[in-house]
Amino acid sequence: MPQSKSILALCRHAPYGNTLAREGLEAVLACAAMDQTPEVLLINDGVFQLLQQNPEQIGEKNLHRNLQALPMFGVEILYVCRKSVEQRGLCPDDLCVPGAEITLLDDTGTFIGKFDQVLSF
Amino acid sequence: MQFTLVVYGAPHSSEGAATALRFARALLQSGHAIYRVFFYSDGVHNGSALAAPPQDEQDLLSQWQALERNHKLDLTICIAAAQRRGVLSPSEASRLEKTSGNLADGFELAGLGQLAEASAVSDRVVTFGG
Repeated sequence: MPQSKSILALCRHAPYGNTLAREGLEAVLACAAMDQTPEVLLINDGVFQLLQQNPEQIGEKNLHRNLQALPMFGVEILYVCRKSVEQRGLCPDDLCVPGAEITLLDDTGTFIGKFDQVLSF
Repeated sequence: MQFTLVVYGAPHSSEGAATALRFARALLQSGHAIYRVFFYSDGVHNGSALAAPPQDEQDLLSQWQALERNHKLDLTICIAAAQRRGVLSPSEASRLEKTSGNLADGFELAGLGQLAEASAVSDRVVTFGG
C-alpha cells in the first residue's frame, strides 16, 4: 500500500503507568511494517520513555526494546518536545535510544499541524 | 468525509467509550461515512459480550451493535490487545485453550495493520479515551 498520508504518532504517556505507552509503540511498528511509517513525537509524560529504565523490578518488559526497534523500521528520528523535557527537570543528554537521532522541538504545534493524520497514544 | 474512530476507553470506565459512540452516531446523521471503528488498548472491552451493566445505566454494546446492523459499520478489535485482556472469539478461545469466547456479535478481531490501513485511506482519524 503506497503511503498516501503523512502520519504522526504522539507518544504522551510515561512508560509503565499506562499500557498506551507500549501499545502505542506497537502500533507505530505495525504502521511502519505496512509501509505507513509515521514520524514519532514524544510529548508530555511521553518524554520519560527515553530515560534509562529498569522495569524488571516491577515485573514489566523493558520498553526500550520497542524503542530500539524503531530505527530498523525506518523511524530514525525521534522528535521530543523541549518544553515537556524542561518542565519535568530532565536533562536532554539523558534521553537516548541507540540508533535513533533525538531532535528537540520548540514549536510542537506547528510541527503537529503539518501532518495529515495524528495517532495519539 | 470519511472518518476512522480509534477507541481506547473501556465502557463503564472511561467516558471516551460513550463519547465515541455518540460521535459515530452524529457523523452518520450528518451524512459522513465511517470507514472503521478501531478498538485498541482498554477499548477492546467494548467488544465483550459478557458485560452486564445495571438496567438504569447505558448499555453501549447493544448501541454499537445497532449501529453496525443499520449502517454496516466496520467494528474492528485489535486482536493482540484483546488477547491480553480476555476478549476472545470462540475460535481464539479454543486455540488458546480457554474455557469460552466472549466476542460480541458485530465485532471482528484483526491486527494493527487495520489501523494503519484505515489511517491511510480516511480523511480524518479521531481518537477517544486514553
